[in-house]
Amino acid sequence: MTFIKQTKKYIVVFLAVLFAWIFLRHDAFLYTNPVGQVTQVSSKRVQKITDEHNNSDIIMTQHLTIKLLNRNQSIKLTNNYAQSQIMTSKYRVGDQLLLEKIGTNMHILSLKRDATVGGLATLLIGLLLVYSKWRATSWLLFSLVLNVILFGLTLVINVQSKNVNVFLLFSVLAILLATGSLLLVLGKTLQMGITLLTTLITTAITIGILVLVLRLTNDAGVHFETMSYVTQLPVTLFMAQTIIGVLGAVMDEAADIVAMQFGMRRENATRQFSDYWHAGMSVGRDIMGTLINVLFMIFIAETMPMVFLMLRNGNNWTYIMDQIMNLGILQTVISGIGIVLAIPVTSALVGWIMSRKVSRL
Amino acid sequence: MNAIGILVIILFVLMVFVGKGQGVKAFFGLLCNFLAIFILIILINWQFNPYIVTIIMSLIILSIAIYLGSDNIEVTNTAFKTSIIVVAILMILSIVIQHFGQFQGFTTENSEELEGLSLTVGLPFGHIAMIVMVISILGAVAEAAMAISADLSEVVNRAPNMSSTSLYAHTRIIGGQILGTAINTLFFGVLGANIPLLIWFVRLRYPIAMFVNAKLLMAEVVTMLLGMLGILLSIWIAGWLIVRANIKQQKMGITHERNI
Repeated sequence: MTFIKQTKKYIVVFLAVLFAWIFLRHDAFLYTNPVGQVTQVSSKRVQKITDEHNNSDIIMTQHLTIKLLNRNQSIKLTNNYAQSQIMTSKYRVGDQLLLEKIGTNMHILSLKRDATVGGLATLLIGLLLVYSKWRATSWLLFSLVLNVILFGLTLVINVQSKNVNVFLLFSVLAILLATGSLLLVLGKTLQMGITLLTTLITTAITIGILVLVLRLTNDAGVHFETMSYVTQLPVTLFMAQTIIGVLGAVMDEAADIVAMQFGMRRENATRQFSDYWHAGMSVGRDIMGTLINVLFMIFIAETMPMVFLMLRNGNNWTYIMDQIMNLGILQTVISGIGIVLAIPVTSALVGWIMSRKVSRL
Repeated sequence: MNAIGILVIILFVLMVFVGKGQGVKAFFGLLCNFLAIFILIILINWQFNPYIVTIIMSLIILSIAIYLGSDNIEVTNTAFKTSIIVVAILMILSIVIQHFGQFQGFTTENSEELEGLSLTVGLPFGHIAMIVMVISILGAVAEAAMAISADLSEVVNRAPNMSSTSLYAHTRIIGGQILGTAINTLFFGVLGANIPLLIWFVRLRYPIAMFVNAKLLMAEVVTMLLGMLGILLSIWIAGWLIVRANIKQQKMGITHERNI
């Protein structure tokens, strides 16, 4: 019986994904730019080229017939692409394209990806709703949306005002994000207060260590200039990245440790500092390795496309490690320091507060 | 002296101080995973089949992350089984997503970095986009699977005769808590990593149409969504596996008693 009920839920999720997909494939009327769908493609192999590093690639030319979905016309475009598709892309029948009109010529701005991303997001939300209760899921989603809004506002302030202190701005953001998320997950409790405090202290110490080491070594071996998409001073941008990245991991860890220590107190309220300390350290030890791995994978995977391109361009590994993976490695190491530091900081702080409470009783 | 070198030493000292033997193992695990990714890149660069290489290296990375993370065999076995199932599902999903979304390569925003580089290198970047998606979720999947397996095995150990319905209820409660914090970790991690790109988009006043379609940004969003899905599926499947194992064990216990 329960199985049938479950199957029904999965069918609903499947239908929701399908509906989101179909809707987003037909949302061209929402766009001010022209949106078109490729209806016909004829591809022709133009030439085989070999670059100076002996990589051979094939350049193709496509003649595309595109039916505009929010204008009443059809257009023809030519598109060249290399088979490796690094900068150029191949288009297929059925692909929807975001176009731009410059003068009298249309050109392709981007593939329209909202249906793909929207479908995936719907799948995630649907499965979250099937797994946990409506209330829990909506709180989680609400906290994510709130975080995105806070984050967006910070970005706008950062861009709009000319002489804002970026480091300070993102520190404030970090405090707001941590407070907001923890309030929504734990409510206004002592447990939440302690978790927040340890999160902020650990993040501050971590950034302190980073700044100190950079000062002492004069940034030796760190190439902030290799950062991508830089529109302002890269050093502070890197600090901002690190603060936000470390914050999430430390919050996760501190929440786990504090929750366990509060459980201990519920069982027996007259424990000593050393009890809390040892228990906290032992829980922390179990989770620190896998937690560092989470951020490591994210940061390293991010650098991979560029690493491949550099390798193919005849660069050696020393150069790639130094120039391309440099900031990814630094990010991983500093996050790792934060994650490890969170364990003694949390264990000590909770132990201290709890044992003081006992002696006051 | 090199700043990164000093920070690595600080990390190592801290891990040894806090984690003792386990800290050394975790540090060693990180080095191994770095090496594994290094080998993955070399094999793909040599044009081995990207799907097979990704599957094998994912298995290696997961086993390093999980088996070096804890000593409890029951916990690690469940976590490993779970991660394999989840990563398999997500790999298929990321192939589908990559097919429709075409997230490979770079865009004009990268022009500065790409200056002087040959862009016709004969390596299919579509495959690389898929590999990036799979690799970035491995950590999150392993972490979630480990967390839920460890917590549930403690529940089972404390009350071995718990009925399967009650154990199931426990998996849901503990799962919900892990889900919240793990999703937050991933969310902040991805958000933090993309601050420069987002500032670029805001500063240059990209139209909203680009915010929901642009390749670079959507690739990151998709990675994040896949990661969250991975966390959810890990918790789900690990819970299911543990409840199933528990039912089996209780049944075996009953037949065992009968035989006596």
